[in-house]
Order: sequence, then structure tokens, then C-alpha cells
Amino acid sequence: MGAFARLPTFRGLGPFLITELRVQLHENMAVATSMTIQAVLLIFVTILAPQYLAVALVGAIIFSFFTLGQRVWNEAAYVRIDHRLNQLYGASPLAPEAYFLGMAGGILLAYLPPILVLVVVAEAILHFSAATAVTLALTSVAVWLFAVSFGYVVSTVFQDMRTIWPYASLFYNLFGILPPVFYPYGLLQPASAVPIALALPPSAATGLVQNALAPGLLSSGDVVLATGSLAAEAAAMFLFAVYWSRRSVRER
Amino acid sequence: MTVDAIHATNVRKVYQTRRWAGWRHRGADGGGRVDDGAVEALSGVSMTIRPGERVGLLGRNGAGKTTFLKIASTLLTPTSGEVLVFGHDVDRDADRVRPLIAVVPQEGKPFFHLTPREQVYTYLRARGFDRTTAKQRTDEALAQMGIEEVADRLSVTLSGGQRQRTMVATVIATEAPLLFLDEPTIGMDPFARRAVWECLRRLTRKGSTILLTTHYLDEAEALAERLYIVDRGRVLVEGTADALKHRVGGTLRVSVPGGDAVRALFAPFGNCVADAEAVHVITEPAQLNEIMDLALRHGLHATVGPVTLEEAFLRAVGRSIDDEAS
Repeated sequence: MGAFARLPTFRGLGPFLITELRVQLHENMAVATSMTIQAVLLIFVTILAPQYLAVALVGAIIFSFFTLGQRVWNEAAYVRIDHRLNQLYGASPLAPEAYFLGMAGGILLAYLPPILVLVVVAEAILHFSAATAVTLALTSVAVWLFAVSFGYVVSTVFQDMRTIWPYASLFYNLFGILPPVFYPYGLLQPASAVPIALALPPSAATGLVQNALAPGLLSSGDVVLATGSLAAEAAAMFLFAVYWSRRSVRER
Repeated sequence: MTVDAIHATNVRKVYQTRRWAGWRHRGADGGGRVDDGAVEALSGVSMTIRPGERVGLLGRNGAGKTTFLKIASTLLTPTSGEVLVFGHDVDRDADRVRPLIAVVPQEGKPFFHLTPREQVYTYLRARGFDRTTAKQRTDEALAQMGIEEVADRLSVTLSGGQRQRTMVATVIATEAPLLFLDEPTIGMDPFARRAVWECLRRLTRKGSTILLTTHYLDEAEALAERLYIVDRGRVLVEGTADALKHRVGGTLRVSVPGGDAVRALFAPFGNCVADAEAVHVITEPAQLNEIMDLALRHGLHATVGPVTLEEAFLRAVGRSIDDEAS
């Protein structure tokens, strides 16, 4: 843990976040189309199983935060591999952890408006209780923190953008769609898979929100498992990403 | 006592080849030697650069130039040896070194979805400059690089040379005490290259130190006050461009089209350097008439010119290749 010999300072975080935000806002088509998968899935649910629309709507919100990790993964790798800008910023007073978090924060701010539209639509349909709203907000933050940290760390081990695209897409779609994110926990089979789903960040988050929407859906043990695993995974992954950003600024 | 801008002692870098090397980084330069799966990119490089100097690093592809630059700019860990930047160890004290340096990476490109003005300005802000200074420095750097006209166009719409000028503008705007420029003028037209040279001269007059790599020997000669020629991870020779040219063995170059047969013919008159089209005889004015007579007798067309840095480079690196072969 030599990279933590000096404590993280996040020096330069604000300006670099704004840099990344400007970059993302110039790519407005990407922002505009960021809800495509969620919209398609919501349409399917509305047509095929409208009784699950509430679950699918909160799932779409969580999924939106989760896939921001894929954007960080792609952006960090692209900036490093194609532009070599990690060298420009690495050999500067900008703290490496500010580079990581600034990139993640800039992407978050750029992609937040469509997510907020989704939140407004969900609120208009579901009328969130205070408990549900707080649960949704906290779990969204945790999922975002985990996803962007994971995306940044993994981006540093790849050499070629063509290799990254399928892996990134596979990871975020697999863990964002396969577990009960867009569908209720009650449909997950076999039942022994429930603890596994509750240990995965996106489905842990949707489990907690589904439980807030319909109290009693999860046992207290399940709630503890989902809360604990989500909080621990988000915190651990974020701390590791901060450490890794310092370590990987210098090639070995 | 003045602290050296760079003081490197016996720097070695060995890249370990990994089973998953296809994923991970290997030597940016491609490496020098391969032994037991390891690639030795630097084999004990030492150099001293004083504050305010402009120093050029010359070498063939894979010679170790970029590896050294990356180590000195805190972007790569050396296997052994020490590099001090203004007295701070780049390996152990990188956080103190980074505010003192700025780097134009090899083949670096600006953010495609920023304009050159945004690129320079936001970089300065990320380095801690206040808004007023950042704006002023941005305007100056863009003007010096001659890209004001395209300063508000997205970089994705710019030519390769304009993007490279944006990268250089980004770094020169910092006026950092030590600038590393890895092939800074690649892809630029002659006017843009000269603009860069003038900027770099101006920066050193203001006190900055510059270490650059280039494959343009005219650029090295015009810009660098001192040169290091490296090959296979070692420093072959060091000195001013004039000093390196004098080491070639003469002040004139006589070029005669032909191959090895021609080389043997003219070898008695001085050092011969061959390229794909001609043999270049490095000689002194006193022997010129005799060489021209010989060329005429053999029906060969000979041209005469001053010795260039290219001859010095070919001579130094050529000898290195010969040493390696023997």
C-alpha cells in the first residue's frame, strides 16, 4: 500500500470534473441515447407484465447509475490508450485520485438529467414514500460508487479498445439485467439464488428499494445482507480505486 | 549551489514479459534486448541537465528515449538507478516532482470533444492556476502556436498537426520549470515547427528547462543546446551538435551514389557512412580534389556539403550496431 504513503488529497478535483463534464456535454447524442436499454425494457414490461412496472421503474433508475461505470471504464481506457492524456495529467499536480473521481463525477453530472427525468416519471407513477425515496437515493449513490470505481480500476489493465468494448458491455449488462433489477425478487428462481443476488450491488440495491416499496418482501436477514454487502462493496471498491489510481499513474 | 534540473545516475529499466502481455503495458519503446522473457530498455543511463538548458535525446526507434522520459517524468518506475528532478527523487518523491514538470506525451492527442481553448484552459485550471491567469496563458499559448483561428473548434475537426499544436500549447502554457516533450513537432508543417522552436527558446530564456526527443535532426540541431545520442538503452555520445559533428572525423561530406563497392573505393579518404542511395565520405577540405578526381575517373557523380548532424548520428549509431554485431 505504498501508494497510500501520502494521504489522498483530491487536489484539482473540481477543475478536472468540469473538464470531463465539458467533454461529455459535447457528446450530447451519447447522453440523449443513454436511456435506450432502460426504455426498451420498460416498454416490454409495460406490454408484457404491467403489474411489474413499479419494480421495473426503480430498476431502471438503479441500472442507469450502474451503467455509468461502463462509461467510466470506456472513457478512462480511451483517454489513456488513444489520447495518452493520462500521461499529461499524471505528470502534473493534479492528484491521481482527483483524475479518477473527476472523470466519474463529470460523467455523472452529464448523464444525470435523463436519469432525473426517469426519477420524475417514476415519482409521478409510484408516489414514493419518504422511506422509499431515501432508500432509492442512498442505494443509487452506493451503486454508482461501486460501478465507477470498478470501471476505472478494470480500465487500467486493458491495452486495446476493441478488447474493452465486449467485456465492459458484458459485465454491466450481465449484472445489471440478469439478476432481479428489472423484475421482482419473487420471480427469481431457484430461491437459493436470492442471497447471491442480494450480494451483487445492483440487485442488492433494487432488493432494498423493492422492500421499501412493499415492506416485508425481504426477511430482516436479507435486508441486512443486502445493506451490508452493498455498503461494504461500494466502500471497499471506492477505496481500492483511490489506491489504484495512485498506483497506476506510474507504469511498472 | 544550483540544483540540477535532472540528475540521472545509472538508470536501468527491465520490462518483465508477462503471460498476459497482450493486455498489459510492455516497453513503450519496444525494448533493447530480450533475455529470459525480460526486455532491457535502459542499461544504465546517466545524464545531467542544468536549469535553463534545452537538451535533445536522439536515437533510433526503440533506443530507450521514451522510457527515460517516462521515468524522469514520474510515469514509469525504474528497475534501478536514480533520477533527481530539482533534487527530488522521481521514484520516492513523485508528489514533489509533479508540480515542477509538464509532459507532451508521444502520440498524445487533446480531448476530441474539447476545443483547443478549452483544452488548454481546463488543463491549467486542473494544475491549480486561477481563472484570470489560466485565461491569459491560454490566449498567449494559442497565439504562439498559431491556432487562434481554430481555437474554438472541437479538436475532433482539426488536422493532426493542429491537434499536436494544441498539445504543445497545453504544456507550454504551464511555463513549468521542467518540460518533457516526446516528439513534439511530429506531423507539423515547417512553419508550425518553427513556431514551436521559438516558443521553447522563449521558455528557456524565462528559466524553464527542456528535455525533448525527436527524429528530426534539423530540429535537434536548431533547438537543443546539448544532445544525447542513445541506442539500445545506453548513452553513446553526448555534446553540442558541433561537438558531435566534429567527432565524425571531418567537416565536409562528399556523397557518391552507390553501394559497398563505392564504399571500398572511398574508404581511404575518411569515414564512410552509407544509406540506401549513396555513400557519404566524411573528409577534410585538403582531400577534396583527390576525391573528386577519383569520382570523375570512375564516372561517378559526387556532391559536396558540410557534415550534418545526421552523419554524426548515423556514425554514432552505426558504430553501435557494428559493436553489437561483433
